[in-house]
Amino acid sequence: MKWTTMLSGAVVATAVAFAGAAGAADYPNKPIELVVPYSAGGGTDLVSRAFADAAKAHLPQPIGVVNKTGGAGAVGLSAIMAARPNGYKIGMGTVEITMLPHMGLASFTVDDFTPIARLNAEPSAVTVKADAPWQTIEEFMDYAEANPNAVRIGNSGTGAIWHLAAVALEEASGVTFNHIPYDGANPAVTALLGGHIEAVTVSPAEVVSQVQAGKLKILAVMNEDRSQTFPDVPTLKEKGYDVTVTTWRGIVVPKNTPDDIVDELRAAAKATADEQSFRDTLTKLNLTWAYADAPDFAKVMQKDDAFFADMMAKLGMSN
Amino acid sequence: MHEIDMLLQGFERLASEPFALLLAVVGVALGIVLGALPGLTATMGVAILLPFTFGLDPLSGLLMISGVFFGGIYGGSITAILLKIPGTPAAAATAMDGFEMTRRGQAGLALGTATFSSFLGGTFSVFVLIFLAPVLANFALEFSASESFALAVFGLSIISSISGRSLVKGLMAGFVGLLIATVGLDPMGGFPRFTGGMTELFNVPFIPVMIGLFAAAEAFKSLEDVDLRREVAAALGRIIPPWSLFRKMLPTVGRSSALGVAIGMIPGAGADIAAFIAYSETKRFSKTPETFGRGEPSGVAACEAGSNGCTGGAMLTMLTLGIPGDAVTAVMLGALTLQGLQPGPLLFQDHADLLFTLFAGMLVCYVLMLVLGLASLRFMGRILQMPKSILTPAILVLCIVGTYALNNSMFDTFIMLAAGVAGYFMQKYGFPASPVVLALIMGPMAEANFRRALSLSSGSYDFLYTRPITAGLLLLAAMTLFMPLLRHLIGKRNRSRRAALAREEGADLDSKNGAE
Repeated sequence: MKWTTMLSGAVVATAVAFAGAAGAADYPNKPIELVVPYSAGGGTDLVSRAFADAAKAHLPQPIGVVNKTGGAGAVGLSAIMAARPNGYKIGMGTVEITMLPHMGLASFTVDDFTPIARLNAEPSAVTVKADAPWQTIEEFMDYAEANPNAVRIGNSGTGAIWHLAAVALEEASGVTFNHIPYDGANPAVTALLGGHIEAVTVSPAEVVSQVQAGKLKILAVMNEDRSQTFPDVPTLKEKGYDVTVTTWRGIVVPKNTPDDIVDELRAAAKATADEQSFRDTLTKLNLTWAYADAPDFAKVMQKDDAFFADMMAKLGMSN
Repeated sequence: MHEIDMLLQGFERLASEPFALLLAVVGVALGIVLGALPGLTATMGVAILLPFTFGLDPLSGLLMISGVFFGGIYGGSITAILLKIPGTPAAAATAMDGFEMTRRGQAGLALGTATFSSFLGGTFSVFVLIFLAPVLANFALEFSASESFALAVFGLSIISSISGRSLVKGLMAGFVGLLIATVGLDPMGGFPRFTGGMTELFNVPFIPVMIGLFAAAEAFKSLEDVDLRREVAAALGRIIPPWSLFRKMLPTVGRSSALGVAIGMIPGAGADIAAFIAYSETKRFSKTPETFGRGEPSGVAACEAGSNGCTGGAMLTMLTLGIPGDAVTAVMLGALTLQGLQPGPLLFQDHADLLFTLFAGMLVCYVLMLVLGLASLRFMGRILQMPKSILTPAILVLCIVGTYALNNSMFDTFIMLAAGVAGYFMQKYGFPASPVVLALIMGPMAEANFRRALSLSSGSYDFLYTRPITAGLLLLAAMTLFMPLLRHLIGKRNRSRRAALAREEGADLDSKNGAE
C-alpha cells in the first residue's frame, strides 16, 4: 500500500517534471536556480542576491541563489553551461566567460551561453597613493616610460581582468610595468595603502572608501565615459590612450534554451533591473547599474571575447 | 576617558533597542550551530544572513552578523572536542587536545575550558578594538608579501610541536601536506598544476580534506569495533573548570588572546593560523610540554582564546582601513556598505555613535555566547551517550552532507571520503593528521607570498634579512623547528652521561664488592 502510494507519487512527480521541461507556456512553474560562480558575499554574489530579491515581483516563482565556486569561476560557469536548457537553472555570467576559454582553463566558449541581460559593469581605473608624486595620468605615464619596470602595479591575479587592464595600458602606451598578482582586489589595495606597490588597476568601486578618506587618488578610468561617482577623473581615451577595460555581470542561460523561455526571462530581467530597489541596492554597494538587453549584451560579450583572445595570445597565456 | 563615556552611552542606547538584542541572541545561537556542523562555516552563515539584513536597521543587522561570526568561531570547538569533527579549520587545532580529554572522560571540562577561553579571548579582542583601534590601525599595512611569507614559514615550523609522539612522522605528514598544497592554479602564473584537467582541482579542496582526515577517519576507525566497545567515556563530567586549574590557564589565555588579535589584524591570516600559533607558543612556555597532545586543558584554552581573539583583530582592520582581513569580514564589509556606512578611516569620525553602540553590542554578544554555550553543553554532551552503532553512521552522514553543502559539489564529497580513507591508515600507522592540515593552510600562503616578494623586489633575496619583521619571524621559525631536536639531543647526552656515571658507580661497587 505504502509502496504503491510512493510509486504513483513518483510517477506523477516525474510526469510533472517532464511537462515542465517540455511545455514552456506555463514557465516558470517551479523555483529557478541562479548559479553564481563566486563565493557568497563577493561582488558577483551581492548582485545576484539583490537581483533574486527584486525579481520576486516580476516572476511567479522565486529565484534561489546557489554558489558554485572554484577554478577562478570555471567550476560555476561550466555548471551553467552544462545545465539542462529548460530555464530552471540560469547563471550569473561574468567577464571570465570571455577570458577563461583563451587561457585553457575552461571547457566552454562564449558561444555556449545565451545572454539574457547585463546588470552591472565596472571599469578599471589607475589608482595611486594620495601622496604619490604624480598628480595626473600624464605625469604617471611619463615616469613609467622613463623608468621601465619600476612601477609595480597590483592586480587581482594573473590573467584576471585587472591584470589584463594594466597589460592593455602597456600595449597602448609602450611602457612596461612590473605586474604583481594578489589574491583578489582587496589585498592589492591593502598593499597600495601600505606603500608596497605604486599603483593598482582595480575598479573605482573597490577603492572608493579610501579615495573619499583621502588615502588614495584615482588618476584615470578605462571607460568610454567618466564615472558618475568621480566626474573629475578623466578617461584614458580623453588622454589619448585607446584603452577601455570593464568587467561585467549579467544573467546568462545555456545555449539551446527555447526562445519563449529566453523571452520570458528577458522581460523579467528588464522589469527587475528597472526596479528602483534593485538600483538603490547596487548604489549602496558602490556597484554601477549597467542594464543592457540581450542583443547589446551579446555584442559586449563577442567584443570582449575577441579582445581577450588577442591579449592572452600576446601575454603567452593562451593554451 | 572619551572611549569609556562613548561605550557607556552605547550600552544605554543598546538597552533601548530590544529588537537588536533579540537578533543578537538569534545570531549567536545560529552561529554556534553553523560552526558546530562540519562544512557550514561562519562565512557561509554571514553570507546567507546578509540579504535578510537588507530590511533591518543598521544596528540590528550588524549585531546579528557579529553574533553569527562570534558564535561560528566558537561553535567549531564543540564537535571538535566531542567527536573530533572540526566544524571550522581553527577547531582542527582544538581537536588535538580536546578530543584526547574526551577520551579520558573529561569532555565536560574540555568544553567548559573552550567556552570560557573563547569568551575571554573574544572579549579581550573587542576591548582592543574599542580602545586601541586608531593606534593599531596601520599595523596591517606593515605586512607586505615578505612578512606574510615569514609568518607562513613560522606557521609551518609549528609542525614540530604538533607532531605528537614521532617528530619524523609529523614532518613526513607535513611534507605530504605541502605537496598536496601545490595542486591547483599557480598563484603567480595562473596556470593549472597537477589538476589532471579537472576544474574542481583548481583550488585545493582544503575543508573536504580536513573533514576527511579528522572526522571521517575517526568514523572509519570506530567501524572496526564490531563489539561496539565504548572507548570514549560517556560521562560529560564537570563542565566549569576548578579555580586552581583556571588560574593556571590564565596566562595562556592572555598570551593567546593577544596573539589572536595581532594575527587577526594581518590581512590574509585568520582564526586557523591564530589557533595553531597560540597552541605552539603555549607549549613552548609550558613547564610540561610533554602533556600536550595527550589531553592538556591549556592546549584547548590556547586554541580557543587565539581563534576568538582574531575576531576583534579582523574587525579592527576592516573598520579602520576598510580592508577585510578574511572572508567573514569581507562579507561584513558588504553589510556595512549596504547600510550606508562606508568602512574606512572616516567611519570613526562620521558614525561614532552607532559604532560604539555596536561595540557595546559585540560585548553583549560574547556574554550571550558564554551563556548559550554553557547552557547547551549538557545537551550537546548527550551525543556521547549515543550508541556507536548510531553515532558512527550519523557522523559519516554529517561529513558527507556538510562537505556537499560547502560547494554543492559531489567532487568535494569524494575528496573527503578519499581523505578519510587516507586518514584512517595514517592513524593506524601513527601519522598525525594536524600537520597535513597546517601545511594545507600555510603552504599556499608561503609560496604565493615568497614569489610575490621576489616580484616586488625585482628578484632580489634581500628582503629575507633587511626587513625586521620578516627576519624576526624567520628566526623564530628556525628556533621552533630545531628546539625539540636540540632538546632531544641534549636530553640524550644527559641521559647517556647519567647512564655512564651509573655504570661507573656500578663498576666501583662491583670492584668494592669483589675486594670484600
